[in-house]
Amino acid sequence: MIWSLTLSFQRWKAATAAPRVFIGFQNFYNILFRDARFWNSLRFTVFYVALVVVLELFLGLLLAYILNERIRFRNFFRVLFLLPMASPPIAVAFIWRMLLNPDAGIVKVILGGLGINVVDWLTNARLTPFVLIAVDVWEWTPFMFLGLLAAFQSLPVELYDAVSVDGASRFQAFRYVTFPLLSPIMVTLVLLRAIDAFKLFELVFGITGGGPGSSTESLSYYTYTVGFQYFDLGYACSLSWIFLVIVLVISSFLLQRLRKEV
Amino acid sequence: MKISCKALLAVVLVLLVFSVAWAAEKTWQSQEGEFKGKTITVLITDPHTAVVEAWKPEWEALTGAKVEIIVVPYASLFDKMMTDFITGTGAYDLICWPSTWAGDVMGGGWVIPLDDYMKEYGYPGWDDVMPAIKVVVSWANKVYAFPYDGDCHMFYYRKDALENPDYQAQFEEKYGYRYNVPPKTWEEVMDIAEFFNGWDWDNDGETEYGFAFIAKRKTQAMWSYLDFVMQYAAQPGVAPFFDPDTMDPLVANPGWIEAMKMIQKATQFAPPGLLSYGYSELRQAFVSGNSAMAIDWGDIGIMEQSPEEYGSKVKGLLGYGPLPGAKKTYDFKEGKWVEGYNQVNFLNFGGWVFSISKYSKNPLAAYKFATYFTAPERSILDVCGIHGYTGANPWRLSHFEDLDKWVEGGWSKESAEKYLNTIRTILSDPKAVTDLRIPGAAEYYDYLDLHLAEVLSGQTEAEAACKAIYEDWVKITENYGKEAQRKLYRESLGLD
Repeated sequence: MIWSLTLSFQRWKAATAAPRVFIGFQNFYNILFRDARFWNSLRFTVFYVALVVVLELFLGLLLAYILNERIRFRNFFRVLFLLPMASPPIAVAFIWRMLLNPDAGIVKVILGGLGINVVDWLTNARLTPFVLIAVDVWEWTPFMFLGLLAAFQSLPVELYDAVSVDGASRFQAFRYVTFPLLSPIMVTLVLLRAIDAFKLFELVFGITGGGPGSSTESLSYYTYTVGFQYFDLGYACSLSWIFLVIVLVISSFLLQRLRKEV
Repeated sequence: MKISCKALLAVVLVLLVFSVAWAAEKTWQSQEGEFKGKTITVLITDPHTAVVEAWKPEWEALTGAKVEIIVVPYASLFDKMMTDFITGTGAYDLICWPSTWAGDVMGGGWVIPLDDYMKEYGYPGWDDVMPAIKVVVSWANKVYAFPYDGDCHMFYYRKDALENPDYQAQFEEKYGYRYNVPPKTWEEVMDIAEFFNGWDWDNDGETEYGFAFIAKRKTQAMWSYLDFVMQYAAQPGVAPFFDPDTMDPLVANPGWIEAMKMIQKATQFAPPGLLSYGYSELRQAFVSGNSAMAIDWGDIGIMEQSPEEYGSKVKGLLGYGPLPGAKKTYDFKEGKWVEGYNQVNFLNFGGWVFSISKYSKNPLAAYKFATYFTAPERSILDVCGIHGYTGANPWRLSHFEDLDKWVEGGWSKESAEKYLNTIRTILSDPKAVTDLRIPGAAEYYDYLDLHLAEVLSGQTEAEAACKAIYEDWVKITENYGKEAQRKLYRESLGLD
């Protein structure tokens, strides 16, 4: 940490023989005031995180609610829904890249069979971000599902018996009993998932490479590019520190807002 | 006295044996069991690995050495290679890399200069290497890489479309002029592309399109754009990247903007999946017969010849030509457009080369392995298709002479002659513009690639993209040191 903080105040192009030079806050100034790519990647990352967290929370809650009931093949579905999360993210990315291949991918074949002929999901700057979001939701909804299922199972049965006696409907029981009781674990899950989603890298690296254009370039991917493709290590460290501060600020903000709602 | 004579004779014999042994050792030719127990590691991308795979078994059997091949995707090659250099790990002995990174790799001093080895051990057929390729493998008058690939973009067209008299007549009626075959200007290409776009002109029951090129980000799309830039923003022999006096990027001048507008226009007459076309997708799609015209290195020509392996439906149907020119060019020195035909040959990429890492533990074995497979009698097999598609295009003078080998590689004599003539003309052009070779070339080009992708995907317009490239290039130059970059840029152009 100290080493990277030191580097963030230096210019160091590691691929050249040029020595490291102390430049004060120049890297930070350049990032914040001269780097359109930074702002673009930050915008995309925030948009991405907001959407995946909301969708995953909603779907995770729905799945946990359903699979908390005594339905047939419950255990089979519980295991099935956990599988995406168990796969290594980079493998997920490469597999989805193959599935989404616009020429020979299975997604094209299936959609084509249904009469839907969309082939530009990886080349349309408006569509591609949502493709990444869909893959993320597929991969990480199980995380929400797992946490919320565990929470569902720890809910006290007596409370439901009591509201049932009072004549509450299933929706009212959920709205006034289940939801408030689940809120603390939801806050925790949202925070954990948001922090993790902020680090979005593998899906971008494996599926889109940040494209088309710069439409899916995340902050992590941009930092990686600067650090390990341009070998501009001072600038990459400054980016990393800004990234850290942003995550801390957003996390604190989320935590406070959600606590208030609880 | 008798004893002294015998002793003298023995000494002479010993010296003779040693001198023969010494002489035998000092050759680029690999010797039997010479590197027994040693391992060399080669960092490489596909499809070039085909060359190493082809020669590895017999070189291993001959020398007793082992060759380990580490294959990485193109998009990861630079970081893998540079990380190894910067950390000094020495994980790779021999590295296959694109010579456009010369400023970083050779200029950075990360690879061994080969002059001493060439002097001591010799080099197979150095005089046989084309002059343009000798430039590509050198930096500051020293040779740092083994030539392996003669790279330049060329123009491909479907003869059954463009040479069809009925289509020519229809085109003339619609556009009011008769096009050239191959087309002479990008303006002409746009009209032809529009004419052949979106209908079944080869009567195979499928829709065909006008013009295809590499357009996907991080797969070398910027060289497609530079093919346009050369015609609108450069004159023969004048590189259009920076003002050599001030190091001010030229990328936002009217020539570059016009080129950006033209490549943006070209996407309208391209196959639907164009933005997902990296080099392999382009080649595969074009030889499957989906477009009338394309630009690429010599690779499409090789794949054209292999219906079984690459599903080529165009064997014998392709024509070859140099890059189209333009009807006007922007003279950055005068700051004005110059009307009149302009055609500039461009050595895009400059070719793949092999170098020995300065951290290599077995540099001599690496030297001898590289000279083994780049020797004239072996390299011809790699470039003509006998070893299938290797990604290597002709780069020795002798590669252009031995037509029998090309016929053996699956070519018709006529196709081979026209293909080779096109490449030879471009590589022999003393005024061909060489690629950007200063330190940071990979970074400059990554930003070029990024903003090009934004234009092609409709996120931004040509002028805004060129302005953004300009601002990014200024920052990169500042970061590397403007004066240092200016000096190196001028050196790379032979101005100082």
